[in-house]
Amino acid sequence: MAAIFGRRLEGSVRLIRRSLRSWLWRVPVEQEVEEEIALHLELRTRELVARGVDAKSAREQALQRMGDLRTMKRELVELSKRRDREMRITTWLEELRDDVAFAFRQLRGAPGFTLIAVTTLALGIGANSAIFALVDATLLRPLPFGDPGRIVAIHETSAQTNRGGASPNNMHAWNTRNRSFERIAGYTPGVGGMVMAGVDGNAETVTRQWVSAGIFDVLGVKAIAGRTFLQSDDEQRSRVVVMSETFWRSRFNSDPGVIGREIRLDGSMWTVVGVVPGNFQLVGQSSIWGMRPIVGAPERARGAYVFAAVGRLKPGVTMNAAEADLANVARGLAQEYPTTNAGRGIALEPLHDAIIGGDLRMTSMMFLGVVGFVLLICCANVANLLLARATARTRELAVRAALGAGRRRIIRQLLTESMVLSILGGSLGAAVGAFIISLAPSLIPEGLIPPTVALAFDLRVVSFCASAALLVGLLFGIAPAWQATSFSSAEVMGSDTRTTTGGGGKLRGLLVMGEVATAVLLLFGAGLLLRSLIAVDSFDRGYRAESVLTMLVDPLGSKYPTPELLQQFFDQVEGEVRATPGVADVGWTSSLPLAFFEDGPLSYEVVGEAPVEDSRRPSTESQAVSPAYFSTIDLPIVAGRAFDSRDIRGAVPVAIVNEAFAKALGGRSPIGLQVALRPASAPQAEPVVREIVGVARQVKGRPDEAQDLIQLYAPIAQALSDDVYMVVRPKSGEATALVAGVRAAVSRIDKEQLVSLRDVVTLADIDRVATGRHRFRAVMVACFAALALVLAMVGVFGILAYSVQQRVRDLGVRRALGATTSDVVKLVVSSAARVIAGGAAIGLILSAIVSRLIVTVLFGVQPLDFATFAGVTAVMVIAAAASMAGPALRAAKVDPAAALRVK
Amino acid sequence: MTAPPSKTPNALLHGALDALILKTLVRGPSHGYAIARFLEDATSESVLIEDGSLYPALYRLERKGWVEAEWGTSELGRRAKLYRITEPGRTQLARETAVWRQFSAGVSKVLFA
Repeated sequence: MAAIFGRRLEGSVRLIRRSLRSWLWRVPVEQEVEEEIALHLELRTRELVARGVDAKSAREQALQRMGDLRTMKRELVELSKRRDREMRITTWLEELRDDVAFAFRQLRGAPGFTLIAVTTLALGIGANSAIFALVDATLLRPLPFGDPGRIVAIHETSAQTNRGGASPNNMHAWNTRNRSFERIAGYTPGVGGMVMAGVDGNAETVTRQWVSAGIFDVLGVKAIAGRTFLQSDDEQRSRVVVMSETFWRSRFNSDPGVIGREIRLDGSMWTVVGVVPGNFQLVGQSSIWGMRPIVGAPERARGAYVFAAVGRLKPGVTMNAAEADLANVARGLAQEYPTTNAGRGIALEPLHDAIIGGDLRMTSMMFLGVVGFVLLICCANVANLLLARATARTRELAVRAALGAGRRRIIRQLLTESMVLSILGGSLGAAVGAFIISLAPSLIPEGLIPPTVALAFDLRVVSFCASAALLVGLLFGIAPAWQATSFSSAEVMGSDTRTTTGGGGKLRGLLVMGEVATAVLLLFGAGLLLRSLIAVDSFDRGYRAESVLTMLVDPLGSKYPTPELLQQFFDQVEGEVRATPGVADVGWTSSLPLAFFEDGPLSYEVVGEAPVEDSRRPSTESQAVSPAYFSTIDLPIVAGRAFDSRDIRGAVPVAIVNEAFAKALGGRSPIGLQVALRPASAPQAEPVVREIVGVARQVKGRPDEAQDLIQLYAPIAQALSDDVYMVVRPKSGEATALVAGVRAAVSRIDKEQLVSLRDVVTLADIDRVATGRHRFRAVMVACFAALALVLAMVGVFGILAYSVQQRVRDLGVRRALGATTSDVVKLVVSSAARVIAGGAAIGLILSAIVSRLIVTVLFGVQPLDFATFAGVTAVMVIAAAASMAGPALRAAKVDPAAALRVK
Repeated sequence: MTAPPSKTPNALLHGALDALILKTLVRGPSHGYAIARFLEDATSESVLIEDGSLYPALYRLERKGWVEAEWGTSELGRRAKLYRITEPGRTQLARETAVWRQFSAGVSKVLFA
């Protein structure tokens, strides 16, 4: 290649001559060869005849000296063709080089245009690359497990759910009785904390997830040090844990000696058997995985559906076959254990789908669609800029055409310019994308993206940027290139530039109309999502307190071995905190509104009614609270009484139920009823019977929950756990101002600082997390829609400003002939207004059709929401007016005399 | 594209034919037959170049860019493909000449010792 370019200068004449031959004359090489050889033979024959050989043998001799004529001719044709081909490539490369150099000169000559075009493209491509990274991570990329296609999630189905958890006993039975799986294992969906005693005496809380022994084998995860769990661990019911690489590195300095060592977790000794790679995470970030035995689990655990089960299919077994096989096993279990297993079935789902979930899938796809539209608008805008430039350059292009540049050649040159622009935009866009992705972790709401998927700016995203840039370059380049060359040179050169804009104006109008339509569509989507967000934000949570400080209080270790001592500790802390200045009220609870219930659900039966089969008992979420809890979060008791000082340990067990619970009892007054409660996971357990003394107002478990949650409160004194939240309401102002005072109060009670205060948040924070997805979606789509609107309005402004500039003389003449200012403004604005109105109408019609697609992410708003329609229209009118004001003003100021002087 | 200092006999003969053609064209543009005739005359027909190998050689030289061709008119007033040496062709000729000089000097040293 170097040599080809090295000879460029002296070879340029030859080049043109040859390319002329190969491109224009198009003399077939066969004919050339034929002609050349024929001449040779004739001249040779003549010479021989001149020497006295007779004509016939002269011809023969001439032929003989040629050798095998046919083979030779074929060789010559072959050589010629190859030569021409090489010539064409060389020519093409040289033209490309010239075009690129020329394009750069052109772009340098119009820095304003270049800046706007490149920035527009960079924004469009950058936004797209960031969203692509999200879609790639969530939808396209396989999970980071060995042979992930064979891993499926296994749900137990029942009358209540078709995506239920699995009990250890059932999992063990599946494992031994199925023929389709290499292994079935499970993990607990929640990540909990365990207190690890350090060597230096300082205890710390580490995140822990429970798993069954086979989980790492099912997922195809290998230990990087030590081993993962073995079947023998399960059979021997060993206390063993596996650590994450990150935790091992940060906490144990990658010390291999930790393998085999015992560590103290929650007061018991556990053996560390191995370390797994850092990217292994299931549903929550965990530092350690503790093994829970499933072999020989007690029979009462058969109803404890605590595991999320996963299985690795044997090679070649389809998911349907495996489902049928396992369903068969489940039927067998239902016959053997009717009390727990009657009516329970099996449903399989690819693990990828189970982990990613419909919500995230929907969000990703929606974002992708939205940024795709934004990119289209970017394209249209740049195309518009190019069209305007092409019109201004018509004369230049016509001259070049007249000088012999073919139409194809000119199109190529213009396309090269577009490509250079789009590649510049794409490179900058990749930088923008990398920047957005680096910000992403702080933008994406907690829990939306499972830890198994990682958002990364990598080669895939870069190649996405490159393809997007090329596609976009073609997209916005082709129309201007086509338009710029669809004229006759003579016509253009003979005329005044400003009369050659007709066709371009129409095309540009259509492009802007498309932009407006797209912007309206996005605005409408954003409007619906914002309305959902408002609905979620303003929903009736049930409690009225706004700013309440919540902190998890965890009395560590064995300092409070008996419930009495623990209760005493909590009482003392409550008293001390209550005495702190600024504190209005203090309460205790085992779980927080809008957060997950820490205790599992309870099954309940009304005492005195016909007993219900274990697996059909209704269930309720339960929460243990102190008497002051209700007043602290300002949750009204609508019937009966709140807990008070009577409800202590040893007194009659009581409960308060919520409105949904009361409704489930079927109209009876719940006050005075007795309910028998058992953990839903242990239907055989001895029940606790509680008397219902009050009904509390309904509290939403999640802001967008579809069904009212059935809930029961028990006095914390009668259901003590050693991990509880303290809720503190300030007399006024922000609850966070109380943090230092409350901490000090707690440490006054336990001076040895053995109490750890964790998770210091306010109820408002919890609210924000609970509404995070709606907020994230609404904010993202609103940002993109705003970007789209601005771009579309820039487009409107562009055509209008341009048309005013082109028509200055025309407007001047009109003014001179007596047209009023308003006549002129009307004239200028009417065409743009038509474009906007048309675009907006199309956009609204599209919105009505498309909005149905996002119904699953909406809340409290219909897809055809009138307020949103009205709002979008209003925004559009304001934006249109803003974009038209400048050019209209310019048109109004046209001075008849000055206009006539303009050439 | 720099020639190696020594060549195999085959490449040498190939190079020699190239060099003879290029040398002929230094005198001015010619068509194929004129090149053949000139070489016959100049070598007093002691080096016989088959017409059948002349043309492939010419085409190869053209492809390498050492000669260029254009259609002109022959002595008979017929269309003829005229070959002309290029600047890279002249460089190549100098290179081939040097190689040949070295080769023949070596051969002579043995044969005339």
